[in-house]
Amino acid sequence: MKRFLALVLLAATALAPAAWTPSAAQSSQAKAERRDPIFLRFPEMAERYWVTTDTSAASHKVVAVPMPRQCAFLYADSYTKGQMSESEVQQMALSNCNRKLAELGPLGENYSTDCRCQVVVSNERYVVPRSSLPDDSYGPVSIFYRDDRGNVARVNGVAKYGALIGRDRSVTFSVENQRGEQVCEGTFSNNAPASGLFSLSCFAGKFSGNGSYQSKTGAPNDHIIARGQTGRGLPVVMVIGLPAQLAVATYGGI
Amino acid sequence: MRHIWIVLACAALAPATALGQSAGEVERCFQNPAACGQGGGAAAPAPSPSPPVAATRPAAPAPDYTTVLQSPEADRRRIQESLHTLDKYNGPIDGNLQSEATTKAISDWQKAHGMPAAGKLTPQEAQQLNAEASRTPIKRIEPPPQTATAPPTTSPPSNADALKALNARLAERRKAAEPKAEAAAQSLIRDLKAYVAADGKGVAGDQFAAFAKWYADNKAAGRKVGEIAPVIDDYGDAKVGAAVASEILLETKQDGNSQSQCLVFAWVEGNPRKNTQAFSCDDVAAVEKWKTDQALKSAWR
Repeated sequence: MKRFLALVLLAATALAPAAWTPSAAQSSQAKAERRDPIFLRFPEMAERYWVTTDTSAASHKVVAVPMPRQCAFLYADSYTKGQMSESEVQQMALSNCNRKLAELGPLGENYSTDCRCQVVVSNERYVVPRSSLPDDSYGPVSIFYRDDRGNVARVNGVAKYGALIGRDRSVTFSVENQRGEQVCEGTFSNNAPASGLFSLSCFAGKFSGNGSYQSKTGAPNDHIIARGQTGRGLPVVMVIGLPAQLAVATYGGI
Repeated sequence: MRHIWIVLACAALAPATALGQSAGEVERCFQNPAACGQGGGAAAPAPSPSPPVAATRPAAPAPDYTTVLQSPEADRRRIQESLHTLDKYNGPIDGNLQSEATTKAISDWQKAHGMPAAGKLTPQEAQQLNAEASRTPIKRIEPPPQTATAPPTTSPPSNADALKALNARLAERRKAAEPKAEAAAQSLIRDLKAYVAADGKGVAGDQFAAFAKWYADNKAAGRKVGEIAPVIDDYGDAKVGAAVASEILLETKQDGNSQSQCLVFAWVEGNPRKNTQAFSCDDVAAVEKWKTDQALKSAWR
């Protein structure tokens, strides 16, 4: 990865053509690029936005995500149909984003901040400051743990991890509680495109676990389910990408 | 929610030394990591002023029977043992909590305690059942050694060991793939150089349209091609043969100034190469999509 980054950096700094230059990416009117983190984070959306003929050639193309950055674990993209104006397409993306967010349930157990959908890219231009968008992947996280007395701990927060799970052999992640304090860190090590091993260490190693994870795509939302055991053989489950209540309903029965 | 409060209450009442990785401690540490990190969650102060996670959680809509049913076999056997101890169950200690005899035994025990006779146990009920059985010494049947209620004696391999083993396997796989991958990349380099030497003619341009366009653009701009250096990006078996993705650093020169550009060449080995495509090195998503389309099983990463 370092080699790859070095090559990209070398190319980016050496090349004159504008398409290769990072350019003034900090303004809210900065041009969006396919390689930007938000498109790497959501590859299916990137495909529609930049490649698929029907959609990439639309006269208006809009992406909305929940903001601020740690809330951006889902997206909605909309494209011109008929004679819709850019504003109407923006409204459609916003509406779809809000609907998706509502369908997944409340976020209050994961986030102390108010996550609200916002149009971030419109017609290949950022409409929010580029710097306000995430460079990494974020998502709500729930960790379920059952101790040797049969009691279950269910803790919720926000996870941050490398955007390219599956490309690199190993991706680190961290977990923050609702107050934004880092409580856990860990690693995903892939041994197949959508699965592999994980390790988790919390509170300076006082609580840890390891096991296997799987990336799941599609309804209700793309997410990662990791199941494993603590060092004492007790079960621990971690879900990234689903709000707490949905995560409990789906995977809480450890 | 009731369960969480019970958990928290139990955790608060139990001796601190017994709380190693208890659910209550984990929840408290999650809320107050600084206290845990500074010298022991067991001695962690009272829950932080902010409400615990459970406080904002709505009431559970239905009893949680799943947790016990999906608990490890040792725990399910222990429940059967407890039922046996309490003279409610006389069937096999096999961990099957959904057998007719076990559900009847559970129902009987629940009825005797004024609980809904669901035939299934919530975690609290299981805890109560086991506690009751442990206080009842009569007719205790010793479980076979492998069903002891203590945590498993054979701990799973540590994460460090698992990662070490994984990395060893990957390194071995990559080492085995290296000769073929390097040979494939060098073969491409020869073709690229031959294309440049022939001033835009050859298989490299036929197979990689993006490279042909890149060469034509540079030629039109008066830039000459210099060094061409490969770095293997990925290699492995794909659905129609061995697939290669190689980052190629291309140097161009003009008036004494040199520039570098990076393209990823991806192809499936063959003569001619199959499914060829070239990408900008920063178009990571497209490169990964190509690999997915080829069903590439990496022997490199």
